[in-house]
Amino acid sequence: MRVAERIKNDGGKAAPAAAGPSARSTTSGSGRKRRGVNREGLEAGRRSTRTLLWILLAAAMVLYGFPFLYLLFTSFKTPIDTIAVPPTILPREWTLENYTNALGRSGVVASFINSIQTAIISTVLSLVLAVPAAYGITRYKTLSGRIFIMAALVTRMVPPVAIGIPLASMMAAMGLSDTPIALSIAHTTISLPLSIWLMSSFFEAVPKDLEEAATVDGCSRLGALWRVVIPVVSGGIAVTAIFAFLASWNEFLFALLMTAIRSQTTPVVIANFQTQFGLDWGSMTALAAVYSIPVIILTLLLQRKIVAGMTLGAVKG
Amino acid sequence: MRISDRRFALFLMTPAALFLAVFVAFPLFRLVADSFFKISPIAGGPRDFVGLDNYFRAFASEAFIGAGWRTLAYTVIVVTLEFALGLGMALLFTTLGRSSQIWRTVFMYPLMIAPIVAGLLWKFLMIDNFGLIGTLLHQAGILSNPNQIGWLSDPNIVLYSVAIPDIWLTTSFMCLVLFAGLQNIPGDLIEAARLDGARAPAMLFRIILPLLRPVIAVALVVRGIDAARAFDTILIQTNGGPQSASETMSLLIYRTMIRFGDPGLASAMGTLYLLAMLAVAFVAVSTIWRPGKDN
Repeated sequence: MRVAERIKNDGGKAAPAAAGPSARSTTSGSGRKRRGVNREGLEAGRRSTRTLLWILLAAAMVLYGFPFLYLLFTSFKTPIDTIAVPPTILPREWTLENYTNALGRSGVVASFINSIQTAIISTVLSLVLAVPAAYGITRYKTLSGRIFIMAALVTRMVPPVAIGIPLASMMAAMGLSDTPIALSIAHTTISLPLSIWLMSSFFEAVPKDLEEAATVDGCSRLGALWRVVIPVVSGGIAVTAIFAFLASWNEFLFALLMTAIRSQTTPVVIANFQTQFGLDWGSMTALAAVYSIPVIILTLLLQRKIVAGMTLGAVKG
Repeated sequence: MRISDRRFALFLMTPAALFLAVFVAFPLFRLVADSFFKISPIAGGPRDFVGLDNYFRAFASEAFIGAGWRTLAYTVIVVTLEFALGLGMALLFTTLGRSSQIWRTVFMYPLMIAPIVAGLLWKFLMIDNFGLIGTLLHQAGILSNPNQIGWLSDPNIVLYSVAIPDIWLTTSFMCLVLFAGLQNIPGDLIEAARLDGARAPAMLFRIILPLLRPVIAVALVVRGIDAARAFDTILIQTNGGPQSASETMSLLIYRTMIRFGDPGLASAMGTLYLLAMLAVAFVAVSTIWRPGKDN
């Protein structure tokens, strides 16, 4: 699809194009004289406009970032202060009590291990299935490939609640109920279509001559895929892996329907805090923080790749 | 001996296709099949074929019709607000250019947060008595009493309140997609419009939005589908209450299946829901999306 490619190409192009004017606009003085030259594309040139825009951005960032900061602050309050009336933004007293309470509760640490296990199995499964499929779709433009990618797209429209129960009873019939395997298979039904779309767009960017050269050199087609093409798209595979991992890590409905005690993942445990132990907000906020922060950090570290994948995924999957 | 390219492509696609057939298509088939039976909630209980009876019951039930309208309203609320906010942020980031890049990254952070955590967090912010939002509005002198607005307890506004975490989570997504689209608009086009004396509103409505149309369409479709399936955030905030005022289709199906123990009826509702989604998706795909028509 054209939009996807344009967006894809764009991440790279946009940066250098925008670099010029903003670098210039920071040099003081002759701004007025250069006004016409200064503004390239949609970028604002005038200093007063820019100041106003920065203030707007700062306000938006504060509003947008505050909820999560409040979650963090709350997690460091004492359990009683957590539900104090009126609430305070910062803790009156900083303590790790909520963390020790939350992590000390039976099943919480186990649920972390389950979450990690499930997400890893699901990511591997998605990649193993999606990489060859996407390659088959993009390299050989057959009718079946076209039908398949449409079918994968339709899969994305299926409401999880519609297939959750039949899927759960299928797993029970296969003797897999309440196992990380069953849940990771369920999660793969979500991440596989997305992975196929993402990988297709990455394969699309690989020049065909590459594996033609390899096959001329005596590689089989599978050999060419494995030894020549896969290394070229390894960055794309990494992005796809992150998306598959996140899809599983944050998933709740299938986890609610398909897990009981042994394979419960952390989102289900967080939700259960509400009923099982009364309203223990302090522990809930602590556990939510512990569960979210690793993936937020991961994202910030890999942000460039993830942004590229996210916009592609938007258009493609 | 080389097998034909077509066979080889098929060979590569088969594992994924089999997986989707077994774990998506088959459960869907089961769902549709179940919708024609009256099923006892007890495992191994009786199954009686009742034809279209479950469908008649679904259409006759106020809960189902209500949930349908609420799902539509919820989707419209979420997508509209997200689009407006996302476009605003995308324009802000574009007009500020490269120097705002780091903030663009930071702005993305809610996308990594589990919907269940987001729902929980906003419930905590909006809850009666110790919710921070009511308190802050009270301290700012806007509300006479911190509990004046029952964000999650007033049936008249709860559908808006439960939409907030969803909007908060995915405005970033809308912003990212629109931002990428904005970078595509050729600079000289903007320059030409500027030389012609186009002011900001004209620039936005006459040039930017029409040029962004394909990207906007895609973003709205993707988010619309997701919003119509929302479950986690609503479940943890209100469980569909008060008085079912925030019970959307996913929640109703879930409750019919699990709490009211009527898998037959739930399957009929699920089938109708799925058909509605597919119809919308089909129209969207055939008119604006057109995937697979590469190059």
